[in-house]
Amino acid sequence: MTNTRTVSRGGRIRDVLGVLSRLVLAAVLLISGVIKALDARETIVAVRAYQLVPESLVGAVAAVLPYLEIALGLLLLIGLATRLAAVLAAVVMVIFVAAVTSAAARGLSIDCGCFGGGGEVAAGQTAYTAEILRDLGLLAMAVYLTIRPDTPLSVDRLVHRRAADPA
Amino acid sequence: MVTASRGQRPGDGEDTAVAQSGASKSGQNQVKGGKSSASGRQSVAAARRSSPGNNRTQLIIGGIAIVVIIAIVVFGVVLNRQQTATQAEGYGASTQSVATASADGVVTVTKPGSTPKATIDVYEDALCPACAELERQFGQQINQELDNGNLTVNYHMVDFLNPSSHSGDYSSRAAGALLCVAQDSGSQPGVYMAMHSALFAPENQPAENGSTDLSNQQLADLAKAAGASDQAQTCISTGANTQGATTAAATFMTNLGTITGGRAGTPTVVQNGAPVTLNSDWLTKLVG
Repeated sequence: MTNTRTVSRGGRIRDVLGVLSRLVLAAVLLISGVIKALDARETIVAVRAYQLVPESLVGAVAAVLPYLEIALGLLLLIGLATRLAAVLAAVVMVIFVAAVTSAAARGLSIDCGCFGGGGEVAAGQTAYTAEILRDLGLLAMAVYLTIRPDTPLSVDRLVHRRAADPA
Repeated sequence: MVTASRGQRPGDGEDTAVAQSGASKSGQNQVKGGKSSASGRQSVAAARRSSPGNNRTQLIIGGIAIVVIIAIVVFGVVLNRQQTATQAEGYGASTQSVATASADGVVTVTKPGSTPKATIDVYEDALCPACAELERQFGQQINQELDNGNLTVNYHMVDFLNPSSHSGDYSSRAAGALLCVAQDSGSQPGVYMAMHSALFAPENQPAENGSTDLSNQQLADLAKAAGASDQAQTCISTGANTQGATTAAATFMTNLGTITGGRAGTPTVVQNGAPVTLNSDWLTKLVG
């Protein structure tokens, strides 16, 4: 926690928070996206199990969602267009939280399918509270990155440095 | 949060957002870590906000990001269509498999006289949409492999979704109906598999938490259409095996909980005591 002459303690903490949020969010999106992508049928099942999307759109949502997660995860991992990626990730998390909450409220007996799998599970084997809390934590990270998208070890910062200091 | 996201349009994403944040948070944030003095930082920040070159950089970065997202999603959708394609499409119903019901309610389906390469245990609930999806994608391939003598299937019909059915006991009654068909028409080639497919067909399967489901008489009519005998139809319409199916299902659920490590869900396909990951080629590999 030593201060250097040029970087304030607050700046340091923000840097650490920013880069941690970015990388954790990236890792979660990449892992969950890849697992869903690898098991496409399970993902259809998981999307359908929420009973929120009309049957004609279940296939499309199940096809797009995993790869959207992967794309956002990659952008966050390298820190390219961090704010745009963070905003989209926040939207995705809000949708997840809303979907799981609504499943819990309607008394559906499903696995959230957050990391692949999904579909029906026996009553009493749902884990809605934990799923919602986890997604809210990730949402907080996405919101933080939306407010402060400038983080160390990012393409954004590299490019901005170049643009601002052509020396 | 939601408001902010709505304000963000892909086309002007990064650029607009930074410009709007202006001198307050974003400006401050962008210079942290910079190696200039306080006044120098402010001027650099101001330069970044106003310089046309910087705005163009933001625009380019946002554009690249959007292209990356679109490219990955398009690639994914194409891949996804291959992964979810119906296997052995066009094969249709099984013509050679016969079914036998054991005393504990397991229905074994196989081709008489064959030496199958694989035996699988399938756990399904008649109301489960995921099971219907399994049927859509692999039903015809299962029929094909049964008829080729490559596969034996042990069906374990469970009923944990009863509470989600309109009648409150649909899963048990449907499981009972399948037991009736196995007991009374199991020896008629393809009839059990036809009844099984019919239960999961989109036009027949009731919705979870729906406003209706199938009566015993309607289940008997499905069995009739599948080619089941009068005896089997009577067995179904009187609900003769509903209680037996309920008892069997309780044991199946216990077994399933053990097999899946406490995460009992349907459909689950089990081989050699372990759940099979249902990739698009799981059955091809199993009998290959």
